Amino acid sequence: MNSELIVEMLSIRKVYPDGTVALRGVDFEVRKGEIHGLLGENGAGKTTLMKILSGLLPLTEGEIRIQGKPVQLRSTMEGLKAGIGIVHQHFALVPPFTALQNIFLGEEGGGPLSPLKLEEARKKVGSLIEKVGLKVPLDTPVESLPVGVQQRAEILKILYRNAEILILDEPTASLTPLEVDELFQILRALKKEGKTIVFITHKLKEVLEITDRITVLRNGKVTGKLPTKLATPDKLAVMMIGKKVVPGEIKKAKALGQPVLIVKDLVVKNDLDIPIVNGVSFKVRSGEIFGIAGVEGNGQSELVQAITGLRTIEKGEIRINGVEISRKNPVELYRMGLAHIPEDKRKLGLILDFDVAENSILGLHKEPKFSGRVGYLNWKKVYSYAIGLIERFGVITPSIMTNAKSLSGGNQQRLVAARELSKPSSLIVAAHPTRGLDVAATHYIRELLIEMRDVGKAVLLISADLDEVTLLSDRIAVMYEGKFIGLGRPSEFNRRDLGLMMGGVKAV
Amino acid sequence: MSSLTESFSKAVKPITEGVFAIGIGLFVGALLMLVWGFDPLRAYLELFRGAFFGKFQMATTLSYATPYILTGITFAIGQRAGLFNIGGEGQVYMGAIAAVAAGTYALPTSVHLLVTVIFSMLAGAAWALPPAVLKVTRGVHEVVSTVMLNWTCVFLCRYLAMGPLVDPNSAEKTISVLPSSRFPILLSGSELTAAIFASVVFAVVVYIILWHTAIGYEIRAVGLNPDAARYGGISPLRSTILAFMLGGFAAGLAGASQVIGRPPTWAIYGTLANITNLGFDGIAVALIGRNHPLGAIIAAIFFGGLYTGSRYMQMYARVPVEIVRALHGIIILAVAIPGLLDIIKKWWEKRRGK
Amino acid sequence: MIEEIVAVTLHAMVPLALTAIGEAFNEKAGVVNIGLEGILLLSSFMAVLGAEASKSWVVGILVALLTGALIGLSHGIISVYGKGDQTVSGIGINLFALGFVAYGIWVAWGTPGHHMASPAIVVPRLLTPIGPISWMVFVTIIMAFLVHFLLHKTVIGLRVKAVGENPEAADVAGVEVELVRLLACVFGATLAGLAGAFMSLDQMAMTTKELPAGRGFIALACVAFSGLEPLLALGAATLFGFFGALGLWINIIPYFKPWLKYGAYEFVHMIPYLTTLAVVSIAVGKRRFPKASGVPYRRE
Repeated sequence: MNSELIVEMLSIRKVYPDGTVALRGVDFEVRKGEIHGLLGENGAGKTTLMKILSGLLPLTEGEIRIQGKPVQLRSTMEGLKAGIGIVHQHFALVPPFTALQNIFLGEEGGGPLSPLKLEEARKKVGSLIEKVGLKVPLDTPVESLPVGVQQRAEILKILYRNAEILILDEPTASLTPLEVDELFQILRALKKEGKTIVFITHKLKEVLEITDRITVLRNGKVTGKLPTKLATPDKLAVMMIGKKVVPGEIKKAKALGQPVLIVKDLVVKNDLDIPIVNGVSFKVRSGEIFGIAGVEGNGQSELVQAITGLRTIEKGEIRINGVEISRKNPVELYRMGLAHIPEDKRKLGLILDFDVAENSILGLHKEPKFSGRVGYLNWKKVYSYAIGLIERFGVITPSIMTNAKSLSGGNQQRLVAARELSKPSSLIVAAHPTRGLDVAATHYIRELLIEMRDVGKAVLLISADLDEVTLLSDRIAVMYEGKFIGLGRPSEFNRRDLGLMMGGVKAV
Repeated sequence: MSSLTESFSKAVKPITEGVFAIGIGLFVGALLMLVWGFDPLRAYLELFRGAFFGKFQMATTLSYATPYILTGITFAIGQRAGLFNIGGEGQVYMGAIAAVAAGTYALPTSVHLLVTVIFSMLAGAAWALPPAVLKVTRGVHEVVSTVMLNWTCVFLCRYLAMGPLVDPNSAEKTISVLPSSRFPILLSGSELTAAIFASVVFAVVVYIILWHTAIGYEIRAVGLNPDAARYGGISPLRSTILAFMLGGFAAGLAGASQVIGRPPTWAIYGTLANITNLGFDGIAVALIGRNHPLGAIIAAIFFGGLYTGSRYMQMYARVPVEIVRALHGIIILAVAIPGLLDIIKKWWEKRRGK
Repeated sequence: MIEEIVAVTLHAMVPLALTAIGEAFNEKAGVVNIGLEGILLLSSFMAVLGAEASKSWVVGILVALLTGALIGLSHGIISVYGKGDQTVSGIGINLFALGFVAYGIWVAWGTPGHHMASPAIVVPRLLTPIGPISWMVFVTIIMAFLVHFLLHKTVIGLRVKAVGENPEAADVAGVEVELVRLLACVFGATLAGLAGAFMSLDQMAMTTKELPAGRGFIALACVAFSGLEPLLALGAATLFGFFGALGLWINIIPYFKPWLKYGAYEFVHMIPYLTTLAVVSIAVGKRRFPKASGVPYRRE
């Protein structure tokens, strides 16, 4: 195997316009002809790094060299010219077009008015298919092809443009085990053809199976670089999530009450009609915080949506306070005692063009205390309610008539948390409640969640922040590929175990 | 900052936009007049004199404004719910036909007016229901369905007006409605009836519904952010249908106002001239009024004034009435400009950010 | 009599078909232009203006094409680059045209509302076995096939379709989404300009303040009915033209007189609209209308 370096990324720093530092001086090298695994959890920076390499994002500092020559990659077109192609997690295919048309689009050769030279393209694609075994029916609309085949079309797209370096971002996310095997065969064939592959993932088993070398990122820094031969799940797990345990008092739970939320054998499909929650069962009692950890994309969002009335249940059962909720809409659930701090507070939890007062009663607007018996809104009561909310939760706003979109991001989230945590509820579902908040607000929300628990509510916490989950929860579960891979008290698992579980390996 | 100041400053932006659009329209209109040798200042003076100065003039302006307030609301409510209800045209026709039908049917005086009004509103809403249902059940784009129904309605109404409902004594109009169904005239000799009150009251009611009831809250929420609305337990489907129905009521009443509220004919013209374009012009009214029912009142009075005053403008400043139509169109284009201002602002901020 | 019906139908088809074919093209790219009525009105007026000024119908047609293109350009810029509301822009065009043309006719010729085009500038017709037929009819038919070919067999057609269905995918593949949409919009509007010129310089030989009489909207119906396929749009336009002619016929032929009382004339006219509504309601599928239609493209 040729060990010359084909890609060198030196001291890469990436700072976003809003000040977030995504990469803090990353050195990343890939050897020609190898399959290189890029491992890390959410927010580690692996996708950002590869977006920079493929030309999608500009870097803030640092240098990129391709085959020893420094390059400037200002667009995906320039990336492709340098031989770098990327296959994203969410495919960029035109659904009613056939695979051939999709591959051909943008690279048709000839001016706009020239007839489509599809036959030449077909031949070229055909030979690519032969060489690598990427079986794709070329004349069916891609929307009727299975996900695994669509992915192959995406790979063909970049091969057609003479990519030598292929970047695959979480390629197995929507694949069945059989499709994963087929993908791996293709990757091996590509390697034989001399292509170089960067394989982004958080799944330990896969990275150990298919790669030659592994680089691990955490929090925008490289925490490990090693040949796959020398890697073990334990080592990788620690590199992925770090050894440091966040100090904090684990506040003792008071008396545990009855189960408020009961989930049994839940199966939920995602927007692509694929089961993404694959049989999950658990209970959350009053007076406890149940935390679900795991890398995003393993079904957590859909699980939350099913529990909060925003997605239909395929199989299984969800009960809140003993009542089955399969056909209920959110308002009925709120009346049953549900509070929901949604994952995307700006888009889902708020109506940005409404003012603070109007947003403070979203979901509560039909309550008799606000709209009486005939539905006439008593704004006086709404205003005093809103003022109470913003005072108690420290939401900074010029007035309660200010439009929500004028608030800072942090204050918008405080407003959503304020509204949800002030409801008379028995079950609080908090999805990534402190994402994007500053230190003070984060601390405040966490204190509040504990307070809710102490007062006897049941709290379901979902977070990609492992530290947060272990700090706050009385019991935790790690979600992987739609199932719970481990369930128990935080004290039962050490860091290594958690890292393994997040990567898909059952802790012994 | 007090809440009063805050709500005032929130109203400033849309008011400025409306005034700005009118200003641009008048400015370009003045240019057009100059180019062809007319005196814009004299023309505008006569225009406003003819529109507002004098009992008779004001009455005529208000009588023109009456249906515009309502058709403006038809479009505006749709917009608030995130939809394009351009079926106002057809809904107006149906309301007018219903008014003729009910108005020529003898009923006791005490209830005749009320019954006719309600019948017309129901007719308008009935015509608004199919696009709403199609949108909600089959996702049919409301622009297509309402335009198709508008055209169907034009022919249906022509047939009804010149056929079953025609006046046996005068083939150029339908039968006139009975006096017991008519709105009382407010200024004798003018075209103004109490229909204007009905319009204004309707606008105020719509305002109250949208901003002071839970249902109105839901409609506005769905129009601004359907996902968050669902999260808040609001059914987008219900709000869509409600918004269309309310718009249909408004348009139906507008059509009725041209029959039971418009002396001296008290009927639909054979050419449908007194009910044509009301729906379409209502869109302009709604846009200038920034999709707010109270704004629609002001914008409607403005447009009513434009048409009334144009006759004076022609008489005394020798400027043809067609300029008013041109003004009308320019003002609408100018409405797109506030959006442009926003775009320019964002582009400017982006450049500063870099 | 059959020849007359055919001739009238063909001529009625031209403005509808040209407009519909153009609009189908830009709707495939995801831009909806409901200002077609306004374009027809404005270009019909400008065509006569230009033809009389230069004493040549050729110039008149060119002026109309230019008018259409300019309006298409402004609508395109507002919708595509300015991310403005396409429906509002379209409505604005219609209202502006209504006002401008009414005013313009008065100012140009002193007659309120209409002006007959002098015979010298009317487009000459070809003599065929079925009577004098305008060569624009043939141009229209050719245009339908041309646009069909463009859309389905050339590079630009592929890109147009991609941009209307999934602009992100097209963008990733290196297609300039906004440029393609703008060009499609200009193209569609230019064809509508040609249609307007046909109406004032050929079919009716006059310009009035409401010459199109709703044809712009009928064209939209044709587009919806045809699922954005140019050849089907041609067929739809012929159908609509036929019903229009049929309506006129029913009014004239004594045989149909007794039916007129029951609204035969009006009901015949309603048929195309109701049929379109039915088609659109029943056949609604994802592929009928491009998914990204009417939605401005924002790169994340």
